[in-house]
Amino acid sequence: MSESPIKLEKVVETFYENLEKGKITGKRCKKCGTVEFPPVYACNSCGSWDMEWVEISGKGKLHSMVMPAPLSMKPEYKDLGKFCYGDVEIEEGAHLNAVVRGISKKKRREILEGKGLPVNVHASIYQRDGYKTVVFDLDEDQ
Amino acid sequence: MDVVMNKTTVHPYSRSVSIIGVGCTPFMYTVDHPETNGLTEGEMYGYAALKAMEDAGVNPQDVDFYFHGEASPLNNSNYLTPNVQIANWFGMKGKASIHHSEACCTGYYAIEEAVNAVASGKYNCVLSGCVEFGDSVAVPDHPYKRSKISMEEFLRTTAWLYDRSYTRSLMGGLNLIYDDAAEWYKRTRGLTDQEMDDTLNWMCINNRKNASKNPLAIARTTYEEIAKEKGFDNVIDYMRSPYNPRMGDFLRASGLELKCDGAAAVIVCATDMVDKYMGNKTHKPIEVLGVGAAACEATTPHFEVNATIEAVRQVYEVTGVKPEEIDVFYANDFIITSHLVAAEIAGYLPYGEGWKYICEGRTAYDGDKPINTNGGRTSFGHAHAASGLADLYEAVHQMRGEAGEGQMKKIPKTAMLRGYGGAQNICTYIIRTEE
Ligand SMILES: [Zn+2]
Repeated sequence: MSESPIKLEKVVETFYENLEKGKITGKRCKKCGTVEFPPVYACNSCGSWDMEWVEISGKGKLHSMVMPAPLSMKPEYKDLGKFCYGDVEIEEGAHLNAVVRGISKKKRREILEGKGLPVNVHASIYQRDGYKTVVFDLDEDQ
Repeated sequence: MDVVMNKTTVHPYSRSVSIIGVGCTPFMYTVDHPETNGLTEGEMYGYAALKAMEDAGVNPQDVDFYFHGEASPLNNSNYLTPNVQIANWFGMKGKASIHHSEACCTGYYAIEEAVNAVASGKYNCVLSGCVEFGDSVAVPDHPYKRSKISMEEFLRTTAWLYDRSYTRSLMGGLNLIYDDAAEWYKRTRGLTDQEMDDTLNWMCINNRKNASKNPLAIARTTYEEIAKEKGFDNVIDYMRSPYNPRMGDFLRASGLELKCDGAAAVIVCATDMVDKYMGNKTHKPIEVLGVGAAACEATTPHFEVNATIEAVRQVYEVTGVKPEEIDVFYANDFIITSHLVAAEIAGYLPYGEGWKYICEGRTAYDGDKPINTNGGRTSFGHAHAASGLADLYEAVHQMRGEAGEGQMKKIPKTAMLRGYGGAQNICTYIIRTEE
């Protein structure tokens, strides 16, 4: 009998430790190839629990833009500069709600009145208080 | 690739279940008034429960089991097992109960749980109630005193609604709650900024008009009256003014819930036993035809939209009801946009046209497509767990023709209620008056 791939594994800690090493990682389903980002135990597309760590390319597309406002702004977010919240699709296929830097109200208007959504973005490792996380940046040519 | 959404096939109930009684407290700021300051969880839940039993015509001893919902029992009530702490208040001492907590969706799961318990055949008659002190917290080590909850403390505890591992760290999901649905609607339906703003404002105006006719609602002064007092000739000019500031990218202050205190309850029983339970009561039982439910954790893009699409699909599929058969619609609109988005996804308002119905006032209680006839979360109030059952209380009164001044022109026969909350659960159900 083959060994079960189900492990009591510290996925969250590993994800954050990988960020400290400069790597942005997810988990890829060995059965159907779906990449879960952020990483979890089992594949939400096919249900397989046979998953492996994978470094994501960081390339992505932004599909929606919501600007921060009094209710959705915190003092510590000031360090992000101009940013929006939105639906980011990473190149490997996963969608997530994320922060995208480099988008001001003016930039949003330019995008919406110009070529429209989606626009290209790329992932960045961002230092928060006590740990690193992932945000996205608008590609410079966008 | 779209957002991944696993789907569930829902099957019909093993036996039919009907609503025979409802009860509800006024939604209020208990601490602000001497006559309500000091009310406790047992008194609030107990009042709603006993009113529901009285309405149903049942004695507490007829009730087999009860469900208890509260969104924030630990922080607001200092309770870990809130269902047990109130057990002696309404004549059911010794009977079993369970507590459930789905934040703002609690009062909708209250129906799901109660109906399942009876439909399974285990129990014949069940009480389901919810209580919340959304405006105050228990003073520790005092038997009844409470203190107002500050906005800072409220936001500290609502942060607990979000996944600690990823969502809080990524900063997206928790901050999109205020405006994601508005962004989605505006983009997919092609509205201008002004049209979107006016639509949000008209939902608030309509909600308040409905609440002005409802004695249990917390805010009953119409926006027309407020606008006039502030020197505006036109209500929409007032709504667009700095008196109604932007709190979100789209959301204005008027579109936010009025968090408050309240309790509500319902009695359900097996439909083929209504005669036994209702005794000499003459109102018609209201059957729960089916429930659809889905959830999208907050890092899932367009969580409310995606989960609503799936839950609505389930409930139409299992009940066979068509959108055009829905006579009145309720949406948990603690962010006002929910009201429009839910009604349009459910097909109660036509695709891309819902915003026009709203701006024309057609969704007020006296219009042809009423939504939230009690005033919804921005005017009836939001006692978080209890709001869902307060909406049911209102729906039942409309369907019996007992809604008083706020009665719809045509008595509704079929209603849909869509719950939302808890970052984010969706629970939606259809009820119909029995012939
Ligand atoms: Zn897979």
